[in-house]
Amino acid sequence: MAGGDGQVSHSLEKQFESFRVQLEESAALREQIRAVVMEIESATRLIQANLLLVHQSRPIPEVIEKAKEKIVDLKQYYGRLAEILEECPGQYYRYHGDWRSETQAVVSQLAFMHWLETGTLLVHTEAEEKLGLNSLEFGLETEDYLTGICFMSNDLPRYVVNRVTAGDYDCPRKVMNFLTDLHAAFRMLNLRNDFLRKKFDSMKYDLRRVEEVYYDVKIRGLISGGDPPGVQAVQGQS
Amino acid sequence: MLSCSSSAFQRVAFMLMAPKLKPQRLHQIAESGVEHLVKKARTMSTESSMKDAFSTYADYLNNFNEKRERVVKVSRDITMNSKKVIFQVHRLSKDNKEEVLEKAGKDLEAVRDQHFARLMKELQGTDFWKLRRAYSPGVQEYVEAATFYKFCLSGTLCTLDEINTTLVPLSDPSLEPLQINILDYILGLADLTGELMRMAIGRISDGEIEFAQRICQFVRQIHRELMLVVPKMDDSYDMKSKMEVMLQSVIKIENACFSVHVRGLEYIPLLGDNAPTSYLLGAADVE
Repeated sequence: MAGGDGQVSHSLEKQFESFRVQLEESAALREQIRAVVMEIESATRLIQANLLLVHQSRPIPEVIEKAKEKIVDLKQYYGRLAEILEECPGQYYRYHGDWRSETQAVVSQLAFMHWLETGTLLVHTEAEEKLGLNSLEFGLETEDYLTGICFMSNDLPRYVVNRVTAGDYDCPRKVMNFLTDLHAAFRMLNLRNDFLRKKFDSMKYDLRRVEEVYYDVKIRGLISGGDPPGVQAVQGQS
Repeated sequence: MLSCSSSAFQRVAFMLMAPKLKPQRLHQIAESGVEHLVKKARTMSTESSMKDAFSTYADYLNNFNEKRERVVKVSRDITMNSKKVIFQVHRLSKDNKEEVLEKAGKDLEAVRDQHFARLMKELQGTDFWKLRRAYSPGVQEYVEAATFYKFCLSGTLCTLDEINTTLVPLSDPSLEPLQINILDYILGLADLTGELMRMAIGRISDGEIEFAQRICQFVRQIHRELMLVVPKMDDSYDMKSKMEVMLQSVIKIENACFSVHVRGLEYIPLLGDNAPTSYLLGAADVE
């Protein structure tokens, strides 16, 4: 019996020894990931700080120019993340949580920048392209992309308010049309009761705030150029 | 030309009526058929490209959520049937060992063939980690059942490699086989001690002191080893509470063994199969 016990404990110890080694390796990998994620976080902050100048009525092309420079850095950091993850094929989602929220913030900044530039929504594939990602090896999660877009929507009411204060009375209509379309598009999704759902639910408050600003501007006849195409959209909402 | 004049009209209308109007009224005034069409045509392109993009996301989310649901269902089936195996092993007593364990082994095999095979069909490539939350409870329960069965059969720990080897033949040879990950294995192992505690108390009441003592040794060893592993685990929150429970199980077994020891072995032959509960109660009281 005693001999048997000895054998048992030996193979048991060996297994747990190997578990410890494996878990330590995974912890080391996580350390590496965290270091890159911190870089991503600070680059995103710089972009955000740059983009915040639009609230102070700095000319948009100038603001975007500066922010764009930082995208190169982001691309590089994501490249490094992809390299780290190459070491453990198939385990993308084991570590995905470590860069999820930072990536959502990245998407929200990129999408805001893209909207300022073109007035259109940055779609998922465009966002991946900007970050140099491809969905085969190291992609941008659809859920993260969508959450990032919701974050962007949260920033728009403030932008509208400040633009109007600065005398840009056409802005509310533009933003309202965009948000109305975006909100309608989001309603096509069958969301689970998760974080994304919560963020989406908050989007309607952004839309309502923008509508209020539009109403305030419009009712005082401040909108120039007539033909307000946003009217239909507002009616659709109410 | 037309839009120009209509907008001039609108502005006048706003100025005159603005203070009293509610938004709904404004829209009615502003709405004119021509404008409506012009506007539609202009926003159509951006709006529809957005809709196109979102319908891709909608498809992705629908497919993925459906898959997750299926995986959750399989996980539940695995849990349910693994529990049955555990109950079967608990039916073990002095004289029916082979018979009981043979059936338990067959049941365990059925769990693999019927349910794990389904799980593997769903999970490919990165899904192992992506959907881990969805299937983890079932896998943990299976680990518990497999290790429990193995211990009662041979007195040894069923290793992760051994478990994974039995899963390989179930999956499509062209695909990477589903392998239970370390974390789920460790979490399942942590639950094993609870079952072993019940088993030990049952064995003592049945007079199989030696078996109970072997369980005691084994459980202590597992607890000690896991203690070293826990701080290195990814999300050790679950595991920490399991460790507390595990220690309680170890202590209960130790107390039971202790009470048998101090009361002396002369009690045992008297008990036999006639009055197992009275002794069991005596053992359980010691804390």
